[in-house]
Amino acid sequence: MTLDAYIPPSRQTEKPRESYQWIGKSMKRVEDPRLLVGRGIFADDINLPEMAHAAILRSPHAHAVIKSIDKSKAEALPGVLCVMTGADAAKYTGPLPSWANPPVHQHCIAQDKVRHVGEAVAAVVAETRYIAEDACDLIEVAYEPLPAVVDLEAALSSTGDAVLHPYRGDTNVALARTFTFGTVEEDFAKADRVIERRFRWPRSGGTPMETHGAVASYDPGTGKFTIHANTSMYNYCGWMIADSLGVPAHKLNIIPTLAGGSFGAKLFSHKPCVLAATLARATDRPVKFMEDRIDNTTGCDAHGSDRVYYAKLAIQDDGTLLSLKTHIIDDYGAYFQFGVGQHGNALSQCVGPYQINSVEVALEAVLTNKCQQGAYRGFGSEVANFVIERLVDGAAAELGMDVVDIRRKNFITPDQFPYLIPTGNMYDSGNYQAVLDEALELSEYESWRAKQAEMRKEGRYVGIGVATCQERSVFSTTEFWMWNLEPGGEWTSSPDAVSLKIDPTGKAFVTLHSPFWGNSPETVAVQVLAEQLTLDPSNIEVTYSDSDHGFNSTGPGGSRFTVMVAGAVVGAAHQLKKKLLRIAGHLMEADTADLEFRDGAVSLKGAPDKRLTIAELANTAHYFRLDLPEDMDLTSGLDASYVYDHPVTTLPAKDNSHLGIFYPIMGHMCHIPVIEVDIETGKISFLNYAAVHDCGTMVNPMTLKGHVRGGVVNGIGSALMEHYHYDETGQLQNSLFTDYLVPSIMESPSDIKIGHVVTPSPFTEYGIKGGGEGGRMGAPPALAAAIEDALRPLGVTIDELPLSPNRLRRLIREAQGRS
Amino acid sequence: MDSVKIALTVNGRRHEREVEPRRLLSDFLREDLRLTGTHLACEHGVCGSCTILMNGQTARSCLTFAVMADGAEITTIEGLGSVENMHPLQAAFWEKHGLQCGFCTPGMLMSALELLRENPDASSEEIHQALAGNLCRCTGYQTIVEAVEAAAETMRGAER
Amino acid sequence: MKPAPFDYVRADSVEGALSALAEQPEARVLAGGQSLIAMMNLRLLKPGCLIDINRLSELDYIRAEGDELAIGALTRHTAAATSPLVAEHCPLMTAAYGHIANRAVRNRGTVGGNLCHADPASENPAVAIASGATLVLTSLDGERRIAAEDFFLSLYETAAEQNELLTEIRIPKAPANQGWSFQEVSTRKGDFALVGVAATLDCPNGTCSDARVVAVGVGERAERLGAAETAIKGAVVDEAGLAAAAAAARDAVDPPSDFHADSEFRRDLVFTLTRRALGEAHGRCGKGG
Repeated sequence: MTLDAYIPPSRQTEKPRESYQWIGKSMKRVEDPRLLVGRGIFADDINLPEMAHAAILRSPHAHAVIKSIDKSKAEALPGVLCVMTGADAAKYTGPLPSWANPPVHQHCIAQDKVRHVGEAVAAVVAETRYIAEDACDLIEVAYEPLPAVVDLEAALSSTGDAVLHPYRGDTNVALARTFTFGTVEEDFAKADRVIERRFRWPRSGGTPMETHGAVASYDPGTGKFTIHANTSMYNYCGWMIADSLGVPAHKLNIIPTLAGGSFGAKLFSHKPCVLAATLARATDRPVKFMEDRIDNTTGCDAHGSDRVYYAKLAIQDDGTLLSLKTHIIDDYGAYFQFGVGQHGNALSQCVGPYQINSVEVALEAVLTNKCQQGAYRGFGSEVANFVIERLVDGAAAELGMDVVDIRRKNFITPDQFPYLIPTGNMYDSGNYQAVLDEALELSEYESWRAKQAEMRKEGRYVGIGVATCQERSVFSTTEFWMWNLEPGGEWTSSPDAVSLKIDPTGKAFVTLHSPFWGNSPETVAVQVLAEQLTLDPSNIEVTYSDSDHGFNSTGPGGSRFTVMVAGAVVGAAHQLKKKLLRIAGHLMEADTADLEFRDGAVSLKGAPDKRLTIAELANTAHYFRLDLPEDMDLTSGLDASYVYDHPVTTLPAKDNSHLGIFYPIMGHMCHIPVIEVDIETGKISFLNYAAVHDCGTMVNPMTLKGHVRGGVVNGIGSALMEHYHYDETGQLQNSLFTDYLVPSIMESPSDIKIGHVVTPSPFTEYGIKGGGEGGRMGAPPALAAAIEDALRPLGVTIDELPLSPNRLRRLIREAQGRS
Repeated sequence: MDSVKIALTVNGRRHEREVEPRRLLSDFLREDLRLTGTHLACEHGVCGSCTILMNGQTARSCLTFAVMADGAEITTIEGLGSVENMHPLQAAFWEKHGLQCGFCTPGMLMSALELLRENPDASSEEIHQALAGNLCRCTGYQTIVEAVEAAAETMRGAER
Repeated sequence: MKPAPFDYVRADSVEGALSALAEQPEARVLAGGQSLIAMMNLRLLKPGCLIDINRLSELDYIRAEGDELAIGALTRHTAAATSPLVAEHCPLMTAAYGHIANRAVRNRGTVGGNLCHADPASENPAVAIASGATLVLTSLDGERRIAAEDFFLSLYETAAEQNELLTEIRIPKAPANQGWSFQEVSTRKGDFALVGVAATLDCPNGTCSDARVVAVGVGERAERLGAAETAIKGAVVDEAGLAAAAAAARDAVDPPSDFHADSEFRRDLVFTLTRRALGEAHGRCGKGG
């Protein structure tokens, strides 16, 4: 198949330009004022008349049969409205949504069996959260413990009582499959060497400051639920929540609140919605359920990847990378909500920025007695980045090559785009050499290498890491099902929508059909619309639709929101602009081809004082129908909506020879940290940190920098500190913020230097690419490389994260013992 | 567990209420007074999201019973400034992109306010120390420090 | 995450607090509450009664009295951390505050409450032991004084009886020429120590005449490391002397393992931090005394 046949034509309508009026400006965010004065409305800030409060009784066991539940004492407590067990909930509510095929059944309250510590065994609704928690203490549950499955490699061979979901067979392997793309065996046969390593990526999580929660009410008069929640995807698949609740989709309205951070964790976040709604129906009261921090750490359904990789990289002695083989075991925890979407994701960029001819990926996804996986900034690709970068560093070390040289030698070159990688995904555009050059300069790489040599002579352990990573953006939904052995839910659409109107006074209203997650969708919409209409941003208002009024809109996640919101705004604005031009042409007796938008008006090209402002045109459009051209299609008012489809999606091949195009808007980054290790304490200090990103055309450089820096610190957490640690009995050892260590300001570099290279995408409006996740996708391999470099005199190899003081000191002690 | 009568001043306004002794100040502010700008993220004193000023000094409102605030002067984020008339710290956080999701921001602002009132010339290191008890998951902190530095400069200018 | 109900007594005088304590065998004293309320929110503790002593301003003071520094038990950490008197007479405590919690917690938490909480990874118990502090416990029966070294018994357990209130911490003024150091490693700044070492050192002529070494994070309580003190006493304080003392310290502890730090790592840290603490203390010693 030729590339022309494989790659659909671009639907880009707005070409990248030399200069813009609003795009590319570091404009202050329109989201901020209400947040700064404490008036942003988050889920826990919703207060409805007669609202009651829910708390859950969490399972203390990792795996057990629920023998009996005595709720009589709890029910007798004054102020308690309802004590609900899993059996009670089943009267109202079915299983939670699942994308896995075949599905793994999960309920908002456990039925018959608990499968992880923290799983809800019962829920209490009371007049206050205090009383609800008092009542939880009075519920008596008898458990019969089952074997706890904790170790992911041991989970491969579980049978009998240790199997979490016996109806799926006598095994905890949820999915096992191998994909081979290209001539893997031939490439390994001709390789001079094979770099072979075992890597361990630990379970961490997005752990947003705000937990998940919902406030639900049920109207028995209409049979309709209303849920306020910090969820996402409610306009894409909110019907799945209705399905769980046993009502048709139009009997559920989901109203989004602001989300106090997500980092992927709040992707759908359906469990609190279903739980609160079920309790509201049972009590005939509005019910608030907000996770507390332990509910969140033990049961948020959003832990991150937890993987072992057995990886092999075939190379030539001249440093050429040939082929990659990985065998992955991934610990999904007790349920399987998104299937192995995280591995679909990772296949979008599993060869990194390098020309690697062939790839084999064998995956075994196992179920264990832990909180289930969800999304966390990278959605699995951050692990693939870590693995490929560690292998490339390993190859450089083996060959005695410079870590920069080996990368340059293998980079895909600018003339090769659009570029298809062996899995079938397309890289749309890029200039990896330019990003690397910029990063070397920004980080003062050569100067630091010289300083490092001096410091090493003084006995200091200073290291420099170089990571050159991909930053795929704009996910397509095929990543969620491409691994499935059996067909199921093979969706191919993942659009985002806006509706837009200009009122009779000339003010523009944008309605987003996806929520605020902590990113800047309002600012993006304002900047793009201001660019389109030449309106001052102060004339534009942004709001969010509920599901009653929403259009097909996938929402944030997979670094897609800026591209998708921009695409939808452009589409809707084009409709309005066409109408405005027609009206203006009619009123000014001019050909629309001679008109242009300028300074908030439509004016005659070359004669800007001949103009009608958008406000004047809007007034006419609303109130003076008889002044408009006589045309049945031209109705009064100025409104439009646009559903912007994913820019490039193609189907996976039926014969599995490729997976199609599903994550094509490819950003790139180079991170170069300089760190020092105190080898006696295992503590790391940052001496320098530079990160250069290419996210295509930038809408707002200030907020993009913010994402990169925030992501870097998430990555520092993943690399150095964060690890949801389950002991051998399946107890989560660090369910509190005292022990699950999120980096504070003191552990974060005080100056993360950010640079940009701009290689526009040929497929998106204005050439924008996403940049929401990159920081966390680059920092871990860069830090592992820097630490390994610092400890090179001791001969330490880094294969496992997090590099806590404890782990580093152990590695150093072992190395010193060897020497 | 009889209710206790308390009287306190919040953002300059006096309130008299009956509270259960166990009622946390954070819940008292958020639910009884409907001042929901003070946020709860961990409720065990680590994250700093619920930081308020109590008699001019920062305190974790989740680690304070409302009864302990009897007679106190409390300042919450709602008392700092309005959209029309932002405090220099709020203006600087806006200008320097010192927030993303905005959930930790009220607590962060309270800690910064205490610092700049005591130490208008705070160094970068002192700003770091002052904010060490406020976790932010979004920003990576750098722009928060820049915002506090910028606010300090504005506030020093206003003094002259 | 809300506390269980409790009865509440607000004490208006020390006597009132002591009476309430005597009457309520289930009661706990509420001072700053920075550890207590957190544990109550988690329902790890459900005391039936709290006696709130926050109004007892008579227990909030820092005074130099003769050869001693007297710190009222209700003194807030922020006051102690920034006190010129503390800096002058117990610089070890000032140094330790560089590692203790964060500003908001220090504003509310009290010196006395922190000692009574007896967290084995908390810094001030080590300061109290290293500086030879005496703790004043008051009950309706009168006052009793106990050496800090004898006060901390085990995890969250002290020698204070149920009817006793810690009212004062008395710390001998540090000799003018004494050196001091507090060294700590925690994964995150302000968190409890993985290991912390407090040291004082007297070294008039290059030879150590006296030293105290106390470690936290190594067991169920702050532990005085007598072996390290013996090793350095009478020794010339040089690299070899420091290493010998550090090795003695490491051999003297049998720390627990948890997922933050295994026993071997904690022993490594005891070695390194003892060496660094004695070294820094030595650097701060005045030579004349």
